[in-house]
Amino acid sequence: MAGNPACERFVPMLSPYVDGELTPAERVNVERHLSACRDCTGRAADLRAESGLLRVGLDMAVDDVDFKDFAQKVMARVTPEKPPLLERLKLSLSEMFLYQRTAMVSSLATAAVLALVGVPLLMSERAPVGYAGERMTVKAIQPYQDARVAPVVMETDNGGTIIWLVDDEVQNGASPSDEDDELQEDVGGLRNGGRQPGRKPKTDVERPSGGPL
Amino acid sequence: MVESPRCRPACGTLPHPLATDDLTLVKRVRSGDQRAFKLLVERYQRKVYAVALGMLKDKEEAMDVSQEAFVKVYKYLDHFKGDSSFYTWLYRITVNICIDVLRKRGGGGEAVEFDETQAMDLSEARIGALGSRLGTNPQKSALRRELAEKIQEALGTVPEKHRAILLLREIEGMSYEDLARTLDIPKGTVMSRLFHARAKVQKILSEYLELDEAKSGVGNE
Repeated sequence: MAGNPACERFVPMLSPYVDGELTPAERVNVERHLSACRDCTGRAADLRAESGLLRVGLDMAVDDVDFKDFAQKVMARVTPEKPPLLERLKLSLSEMFLYQRTAMVSSLATAAVLALVGVPLLMSERAPVGYAGERMTVKAIQPYQDARVAPVVMETDNGGTIIWLVDDEVQNGASPSDEDDELQEDVGGLRNGGRQPGRKPKTDVERPSGGPL
Repeated sequence: MVESPRCRPACGTLPHPLATDDLTLVKRVRSGDQRAFKLLVERYQRKVYAVALGMLKDKEEAMDVSQEAFVKVYKYLDHFKGDSSFYTWLYRITVNICIDVLRKRGGGGEAVEFDETQAMDLSEARIGALGSRLGTNPQKSALRRELAEKIQEALGTVPEKHRAILLLREIEGMSYEDLARTLDIPKGTVMSRLFHARAKVQKILSEYLELDEAKSGVGNE
């Protein structure tokens, strides 16, 4: 076997030594021998190199293989006959919550937030915008007697102002259809229900004198 | 198609998804969770294939045997008591299938056993040749690759039982205790077989290195 008679005892221990499978006492003995025996030191180095090579070789061989469909093929062989649809749905739903719980919870949370934010936004788009979006009430009217085009300024209860520019000639007897009043600003509510300045045919009706309504 | 009693889902009893150790997955498979079995397959497919390839030296056969091993595992999962690790059981099944395939193949030499009580004569191998040529430098990749391929050939010359033990040790890093349990042999036999298997592989590699050195005219380093 080996030149050194002590090697006969230690050579079989080298394999478990490199594998870390010796008891602490055995390990100390082997290391003591290795420090004095070049042959056994070489043998231990060979064992380590061989071990690494074997792993590298197998890794190389396995790396060449595509395992993409491996699990699918195994599953196809082991899957029993399909259970009823309802049972499959229940199982897949529970599996989704089991294996993708985080994704499922975050998806549900996102959906809830979208519903909370999106639905009011969609609803609000249907409501009228601008003046039409508000319900305004005329609080006071202030006429300007000396102006040729007499403005009628109306204050609303939320601090807004509505100005009627009334043609003075209409005021003095001209036909309302001759000259349409120039309506600078108006309010939906007033158009429908209020008196329209251009349609003020009767000259005997006095202009509003002003003051709170 | 394999008939299995484990086809009824038990969703209410499924444990936490993060607890995906082997035994938990085995429990899930038993309760009808197919996905858990797929996870086990994906976890061990490479290693099972590596063992099969190391044993059989044939890629297609190794692939078939690997699939067969998982199918058997699924089929007999109810027999797995959980006393040992799942992977020791899985590798045991894999090795047994490989040994069956090798026996069916014939070939005679595979059945040859070393006398496990006899000390290996290491004088045939050039002591330290492998270690000194490779050292610990991983950059010597060309030689490493060449030798890694050679070692696959060398494995084929090792008796099947010794080969199995060497593969399981190197691929999975199994302890001697686990190897003994996996192959159902005493721990002393594990040590003995590993020693012989390594000595045999080493001898072939050393011869190859000598030949290589003689070809290239490189002397002892």
